[in-house]
Amino acid sequence: MRTNPRRSLKAVQYLLLIWFVVLVNFLLPRILPGSPLMYLAGEDVGQLSPVERKELLSRYNLDQTLPVQFAEYLADLVTLQWGRSYSQNAPIITLIRNRLPWTIVLALMSIAFSAAIGAFLGIRAAINRGKWPDIYLLLTVSFLGSLPAFWLGMLLIAVFGVRLNWLPLFGAYTAGSGFTGLQKMLDIAMHMVLPLLTLTILSVGRYFMTMRYSLIEVLGEDYIILAKAKGLPDRIIRYKYIMRNALLPFFTVLMMDLGFVLSGATVVETVFAYPGLGRLMFEAVAARDYLLLQYSFFVSALLVILFNYLADRLYLYLDPRLGEET
Amino acid sequence: MTCDNRKKQLPPALIGAVILGFFFIAAIFAPNLAPHNPHQIVGAPFSPPGAGHLLGTNDIGQDIFSGLIYGSRLSLSLAVLTAALSTAVGALLGLIAGFLGKSIESVIMRCADFILVLPFLPLAILLAAMWGQGFFQIVLIISLINWPATARIVRAQVLKIKAKGYILNLQAIGAGTGYLLRKHILSEILPLLIYRAMLSASYAVLTEASLSFLGLGNPLLNSWGSILFYAQARNAILTSAWLWWILPPGLCIALLSAGFLFIGLYMETYANPRIMRVQ
Repeated sequence: MRTNPRRSLKAVQYLLLIWFVVLVNFLLPRILPGSPLMYLAGEDVGQLSPVERKELLSRYNLDQTLPVQFAEYLADLVTLQWGRSYSQNAPIITLIRNRLPWTIVLALMSIAFSAAIGAFLGIRAAINRGKWPDIYLLLTVSFLGSLPAFWLGMLLIAVFGVRLNWLPLFGAYTAGSGFTGLQKMLDIAMHMVLPLLTLTILSVGRYFMTMRYSLIEVLGEDYIILAKAKGLPDRIIRYKYIMRNALLPFFTVLMMDLGFVLSGATVVETVFAYPGLGRLMFEAVAARDYLLLQYSFFVSALLVILFNYLADRLYLYLDPRLGEET
Repeated sequence: MTCDNRKKQLPPALIGAVILGFFFIAAIFAPNLAPHNPHQIVGAPFSPPGAGHLLGTNDIGQDIFSGLIYGSRLSLSLAVLTAALSTAVGALLGLIAGFLGKSIESVIMRCADFILVLPFLPLAILLAAMWGQGFFQIVLIISLINWPATARIVRAQVLKIKAKGYILNLQAIGAGTGYLLRKHILSEILPLLIYRAMLSASYAVLTEASLSFLGLGNPLLNSWGSILFYAQARNAILTSAWLWWILPPGLCIALLSAGFLFIGLYMETYANPRIMRVQ
């Protein structure tokens, strides 16, 4: 099969994005004010002996020239030797590997729920477009989207956790419970309800808006009017003509939403003490552990770029028209 | 029909204007309105609402209601500054990209794409942790994250306007770029710029609150987000204090952010002909 020029151009663009992230990750600690030692060892740096300082500098190749530093950095990046977190006293890669699955499950589930609810409401609103229920739905949903994520989480904890005592207050599972099998699954699910609910409430608006706008737009196209004029049955117009075309932008938003969800997850995980990547970032900030912070960001950026790339690839299959443009 | 749709978006925009007016008054007349100095210890710690303290006191005995009133100063000035800065930069770069094209366009748009693809809150956290957490640093950080969306929309709009017949005609009879910009393009993209500015202000309020809540704000500035940071740190969630210590600051954040957003959504009906065409 002939390679698609547009497709390979896309791949180059994404590689460029990744290269940018890798570069920023190298440059940030080097162009910022303050000693690199503080960056690596935090505020305890004053207590280090001269020998320890020297050893720390050479462990991170900071006594070398910049090009050598960069080469060493690239080699370490690829071999996953990202250094140690001094505040958690563990290799950074291990910390991130332990936290990542929680965030990914939380993010994907919230995307699935909010996409389903948002699409349902968006279709309703588009059918009633311009009428009062549509405007009210639009306002309610955009108001929900402007709630502070962490505050919504705090309220849900105060009401459902503390007041009503229906759900656990924090964490991803009951520590030291010794639960196994089904009981353990149930425990994990119960802990996930409130963080998931918070993220879903915040995200519904974006899907609602996208679905509403793209449906309204398709409804105004000439080919829909033509299809009606031809006397095609409503069912065919609705599914083959309208939904098929309105789903494309909706799908793009769905796949590109991970950046938003990861942003929300950072504060939501913090409120719920949920052991994901976002909470790890907060812990790094609180301990002024810059190296850990930097790599947590690095991983979330890579994750989002990867998702965007997958979205683009899938989009070409869903909308073959795109592949023909060169 | 298009006007009809716009008419229906008007009440929320008016609600938004009332909300903004309310907070502007609170911010300007804070010393007259606030019963206490928000930095002073004026009562017993953790007092519930009652005589002299409308919303009780916090963990060290400062008046929470006064803190909220003074907090509106910080949130409003931050929102206005950030909106102005990010919209100005975004508009300028969008105009340059749309007008000049070629390699400068691709440099600007690549940078915009790069920032747009990154998860914005983690990026803001990283920058705030490394650059420091003063008021102006936060303004710069949020502007840095907000300009690309504006630049993209402005560029697309400029390309569309440039292709219009009358602009080509004007160019043919010798109208310069500066003249076209001043007389025709700016007036055409103005609703779009107001829309983007309102959206940026709305994001700025939320992002500042999130940063302060994570302990990345300036603790001396008493923003609504930092009130919630202390409430969380003192476990106000577990006591009935959540009703007066957690609920009100969050409502302020949500209302102010929604106020900007509602006005923005109304402006969008002028800025985006796509929404209107369908009716």
